[in-house]
Amino acid sequence: MKIFISGGAKNGKSMFAQEIAKKLSGEGHLWYLATMEPRDDEDDARVIRHRKEREGWGFKTVEWGRNIALHCEEFDCKGTYLVDSVTALLSNEMFGGMSGEPDKSAPERVAKDLIAFSEAAENVVFVSDNIFCDAAFYDDWTDSYREGLAFADRRIAEKCDVVAEFSCSQIIFYKGAELI
Amino acid sequence: MELIIGGAFQGKTDYAKENLSVSDSEIYICEKDREPDFSGKCISHLERFSFWCVEHGFEPADYFFEHATKIEDKIIISDDISCGVVPVDKMERAWREANGRLLIRLSKKAEHVTRIFCGLSQRLK
Repeated sequence: MKIFISGGAKNGKSMFAQEIAKKLSGEGHLWYLATMEPRDDEDDARVIRHRKEREGWGFKTVEWGRNIALHCEEFDCKGTYLVDSVTALLSNEMFGGMSGEPDKSAPERVAKDLIAFSEAAENVVFVSDNIFCDAAFYDDWTDSYREGLAFADRRIAEKCDVVAEFSCSQIIFYKGAELI
Repeated sequence: MELIIGGAFQGKTDYAKENLSVSDSEIYICEKDREPDFSGKCISHLERFSFWCVEHGFEPADYFFEHATKIEDKIIISDDISCGVVPVDKMERAWREANGRLLIRLSKKAEHVTRIFCGLSQRLK
């Protein structure tokens, strides 16, 4: 089963993602695929907090901040994965290069890699973020990132069995409610 | 009237083209620095029209209903700009609220209100 979850910050999507991933994994392997690359003390603290929150759930953690396709080749992708998050992965791929310019090919690559990865794995729960509903005029970099994330989200959601949004810890299904 | 809302880049125009038989030439795209033309079948980026209104001292909801004709036949598309941080800029704050008032008026008149998320639709009305 492939599940795509998005929504605003602090709306309950991570907790749901953990619960559903745990349920799907059954007796099989349960992986937490962390995509954030810590850059400062704040990030380090966040990683520690998230690891604590997952204690006792049975997750094994892999940290792949970019080049998912490469990791996929080296890794037996069988099992159940919680991918947290599409947002951080795209950020690394788009802005992590040395050129000083956003990599405009990153959204297409991230979508393609994540879809290929999800086809290799048994169960995948993707977590992304709804950053599309605010009243602001952004600079070109930020707007190209928003457009890129929407592109990747849509491509992944198209391939998923279940697509849902979280609001106030309530789930809104767009596809596959009957499967949950 | 069909009202289609959703976050930026979520696939609202694609939805209109695929489900409401709208072609590119029938879509009028509003701009924030241009007086709108509401004569066509489909009006998109209505939130930019709202910005133009606020900048020129109009209430978007009033302006729309005074200037648009055959409203019952129209397909109207707007970005949902209601969920971010309250903008620091006074004009942007007024814009966000005025667009919300406009969408409330439109959703009352609309036969269907559809929200698009990741290319998928949800019928709100």
